[in-house]
Amino acid sequence: MVNTLIDGLKERISKAITINQSVGIMLPSKNYSDLTQALLEYICSRTEDAWVYVTITKPYDNLIKQFGDLSGLENIKFIDCISRAAGISNTNPNCVFIESPTMLENLGLEIINVFKNVDDDTNKYLILDSLSTLVIYNDLEIVTEFFYHLANRTRARNIHSVSLMIEEEGVDSQLNKLIYLNDKILKVRDSFI
Amino acid sequence: MPEEELCVTGMADLDNLLGGGIPVGSTVLVVGSSGSGKTTLCMQYLVNGAQQGERGVFFTITEPLFKLTKNMEGFSFYDKKLIESGMVNLIDLRIISERLGLDTEKYSVEDAAALLDVLKDIADELNVKRLAIDSITALCYRLQSKEMIRDFIFKLGSSLAAMNCTTFLTSEVPPRKFQYSQHGIEEFISDGIIFLGDIERKGDLIRTFQLIKMRGMAHSRTKSAMIISSNNGIELAPLLKS
Ligand SMILES: Nc1ncnc2c1ncn2[C@@H]1O[C@H](COP(=O)(O)OP(=O)(O)OP(=O)(O)O)[C@@H](O)[C@H]1O
Ligand SMILES: [Mg+2]
Repeated sequence: MVNTLIDGLKERISKAITINQSVGIMLPSKNYSDLTQALLEYICSRTEDAWVYVTITKPYDNLIKQFGDLSGLENIKFIDCISRAAGISNTNPNCVFIESPTMLENLGLEIINVFKNVDDDTNKYLILDSLSTLVIYNDLEIVTEFFYHLANRTRARNIHSVSLMIEEEGVDSQLNKLIYLNDKILKVRDSFI
Repeated sequence: MPEEELCVTGMADLDNLLGGGIPVGSTVLVVGSSGSGKTTLCMQYLVNGAQQGERGVFFTITEPLFKLTKNMEGFSFYDKKLIESGMVNLIDLRIISERLGLDTEKYSVEDAAALLDVLKDIADELNVKRLAIDSITALCYRLQSKEMIRDFIFKLGSSLAAMNCTTFLTSEVPPRKFQYSQHGIEEFISDGIIFLGDIERKGDLIRTFQLIKMRGMAHSRTKSAMIISSNNGIELAPLLKS
């Protein structure tokens, strides 16, 4: 069953991000690993595109361990916002490490820096995993401001973005407003797939 | 507005805030507390200049040369070839004052004059267009009165300006204080002030960068976030206001 779920997700993601500049994906936490798997498998299949995967949820090393074939891919670069704060000091040429998830200006700068090395003709995609974890480390207002800035900069450079938002029970509706800044919202529900 | 010749720092974000660059011949005070990035900023400024064919000299007082070079080697911008070729010259001011036979703790008026002459001679002989003194605080500490400090910086600044050399002086201040120098004089004799500070966010310190003044330029005064990385050295980004 899990495979059909993942395939279904891949298809929906694929459709949404080719049409829209920015996509927000809302999902319950129990679907989180299926979704990241679907996303990463999708990225692996899109070798001609340039991807930047910002992880605030899991350290880069964990992602690599979980999806072993990622480290060899040329088309995907990672920005890890939590390893350093957790005291992990590994380095990797495929990953930029940000000192702390509170360093939002630094994060914004590194995202643009990574895309600077990509030529104009290549399709560019950004994944933010996730907006909800950014809000754990920062006030909602500053994350909103960050997200506005980021949206302007990615739009100006024709970078498509996918932002994840993990929904918890009884979640603050303010948080939902953040995800609605995207052009298109996908809600992941088991029944949808 | 008259066309003024500008010294392009080569740090694109900074040049943008400045409105192109620093008026050639200016003396700029780079103010910040310990670890704020003063030395890095000066070095990147000199290296960028050298790459554009402008020779530079870095006078260090606070750090011995071996430590300075070791720290700078961590940055991609630090190109050893520029040092070897003499496009960027690193000089330990303490060694110079020793050779001049100056008292290491206190300079008399004659000592200060002798040191000033040596600095001018070096700048002149090497035909440098960019110069940094790291730090002017440590140098001023050896000068015994406000008058001597004023006189020293003023004469240094005017001689270097006459050589079309644009100068960075670093100024050490206590953390999180709105103060530009230890002696309260340096900022008034300088043409420009760059303030490297920080703000606290959720217990982390975010580096900030602010242009306080730049005579002759209509520059931005907004506070930016500053990022130091081994790949790009110093970069600026709009500071989030929330
Ligand atoms: N290779 C590097 N990559 C990223 N950051 C670095 C690197 N090397 C140094 N830094 C950061 O830059 C800071 C120091 O910068 P710098 O030496 O320019 O400060 P400073 O203002 O001159 O300090 P001081 O007053 O102690 O002389 C360090 O505290 C460190 O955080
Ligand atoms: Mg220093």
